[in-house]
Amino acid sequence: MIHPIDTALSLVILSALFSFASSRLPGLIKVLAFQGVAVSLVPLFIGHEMTSGGVSFTLTTMIIRGVIIPLSIYLVIKKVAIRREVEPIIGYHASLLAGLVLIVAATYGSHKFNIPSSTHPLLLPSAITLLITGIFLLMTRRNAIAMVLGYIMMENGIYLVGTTFSVRAHHIVEFGILLDVLAGVMIMAIILQNIKQTFDDVDTAHLRTLKE
Amino acid sequence: MVEILFVIPFLTGIMAFFLNPSAGRPLLVITGALHLFLSVLLWMNRPEPIFSDYFAVTPEGLLSLLVISLLFFLISIYTTGYLAAAKIRSEKIFTGFMLLFLSTMTMVTLSDHIMVMWIAIEATTLASAPLIYTHRSKASLEATWKYVLICSVGIALALLGSVLISVAMDIGKVDAEVSFSALTNAAGQLDPKWLKAGFVFILVGYGTKMGLAPMHTWLPDAHSEAPSPASALLSGVLLNCAYLGIFKTNKIMCAAGLGTFSGTILMVFGIASILAAATFILKQTEYKRLLAYSSIENMGIIAFGTGVGGLAAYGAMICLIHHSLIKSSLFLTSGNILLGYGTRLIEKTGGLVRVMPKTFVAFFGGFAGISGFPPFGIFIGELLIIIGAFRSAQYVGAGFFILSLCVIFAGFANHVMKISFQDTNVTAQMDEKLSMVWPQYILLLTSLVLCIWIPDTLYQTINKAVFFMGGGF
Repeated sequence: MIHPIDTALSLVILSALFSFASSRLPGLIKVLAFQGVAVSLVPLFIGHEMTSGGVSFTLTTMIIRGVIIPLSIYLVIKKVAIRREVEPIIGYHASLLAGLVLIVAATYGSHKFNIPSSTHPLLLPSAITLLITGIFLLMTRRNAIAMVLGYIMMENGIYLVGTTFSVRAHHIVEFGILLDVLAGVMIMAIILQNIKQTFDDVDTAHLRTLKE
Repeated sequence: MVEILFVIPFLTGIMAFFLNPSAGRPLLVITGALHLFLSVLLWMNRPEPIFSDYFAVTPEGLLSLLVISLLFFLISIYTTGYLAAAKIRSEKIFTGFMLLFLSTMTMVTLSDHIMVMWIAIEATTLASAPLIYTHRSKASLEATWKYVLICSVGIALALLGSVLISVAMDIGKVDAEVSFSALTNAAGQLDPKWLKAGFVFILVGYGTKMGLAPMHTWLPDAHSEAPSPASALLSGVLLNCAYLGIFKTNKIMCAAGLGTFSGTILMVFGIASILAAATFILKQTEYKRLLAYSSIENMGIIAFGTGVGGLAAYGAMICLIHHSLIKSSLFLTSGNILLGYGTRLIEKTGGLVRVMPKTFVAFFGGFAGISGFPPFGIFIGELLIIIGAFRSAQYVGAGFFILSLCVIFAGFANHVMKISFQDTNVTAQMDEKLSMVWPQYILLLTSLVLCIWIPDTLYQTINKAVFFMGGGF
């Protein structure tokens, strides 16, 4: 029988692949929202015993990761209409190939780890995929908004790594981390708006005047 | 009741957003004074925290806390004069975030839980980002963007490292809070492979924030674009906070018997930072960036010393304290120079000794201190690090270390001489108010006094902090 987790995680991996090749930001943000929801729901399915506190915390995570964070970036895009495409440093086709290689490597590599509580075979590969996809977007895109999306994807990946190893800190601590990430994205959104207003563009090539 | 130390500045910070801007300046000084008073009380009484799972009073935390308190109090006095002279548009936001910044940094020094530490360090980034963007110029926007993005990504890697250390704990079947003190006590049972992986990620992550090369690229931009009181805080204490995260993790590694592994990596990053700083200081054209690169150099020195261990670890702690005192005084002084000359370029300044004599004293004294003239503390610290490196047979590292220090001294001295004595006919655009020179004098004097006489409790605390690295005398 196919576990619902496996279905969701396969979709997460596919969505990571999509973000390698996509140049359209609204699409990327929708993908991000889906990833946020999927990643925060995973603990519900692999959790041993779910207390009511645990369930409500998971739901809060889902709302923040799946709705509020993508929405705040979406609002920036809507407010500041992007007219011009910003070419990435590595082209979309080459990125797609890199993404495929990455997923294969992540799947192969995660079997090498001796995971203490190995529950679902897809958990660790998808966590690593998300993490590296985020770093890839950060490094190869010159569009400032795409870079912020990469950062969020990376955070989702790290959250999934924590879930994989069932590292369970107290909810209050996890909530603190979540709040930090949220505040960070909000600040980045404000900076994005300012960049757009100041330079009338989101190309980070404008942000290279300070040197040495 | 330890938590009150970061709760108070948090509340006053929130208050500052709603108060009249004229009320913000006294609020800053009052909070600074209260914070300093409470820190001194903490040193004397060492009370227990309420949430002992998350917070603890540790020797290294106490050291950093006292430095933060003292610096913030003096900087807040300077800020009252600076705000009057510099005419910042959104003063409410500036004072509010200064106080929030103080609150988050205090939280870093007191946190013991590995994740709470992460939360606090990330919060310092968020609280300080608006400070860098105070001037609302294109350059400051670029600096803020780089700062937030590079540091957030770096610190995200540190979060991954913290998760990996919890995994090491799970595998080792250690059943305790994921706190630095519990981990250090149970270090022997932790799984070494995962612990090593965790350390590397934490070092890269917090190292980004600390300004270790090659992750330092945000630092000169942020430090030169921020208003001078904020630069002084960024350089004087924020870098220490990030270092604290690395220091505590290194302590776990040493207790687990992996000190050679972590020490080697620390030494490599340290030497890389010193070399990078040496290259960039030589051809620097702006004096605030010069000071920023000097911070990178000093962070490299501290990382190197910590990596060598033993006597050098003690030297690193000495350097840490004195660097905070002297560098923050230098950044405040650079604020005077900026107000006086209206430019950040070295070549357009000159004749500081004639134009602004009181500022010159602070500037030259700071230069002597930071470049390691005897009898200032940096000299003692560097000497101890070099002796420690030779004792543990790190000849190559020590060679690079000494060579770069010489290059940096030459480059730094060249620029300082130009600023101080070059012929010009400019006149200062500001008068040197007492509140804008005395804080620097006090900082330098404190550093000078600490070279001659270290109070016994301070000495014991440093020794306790570096105990696991085989440190002390």
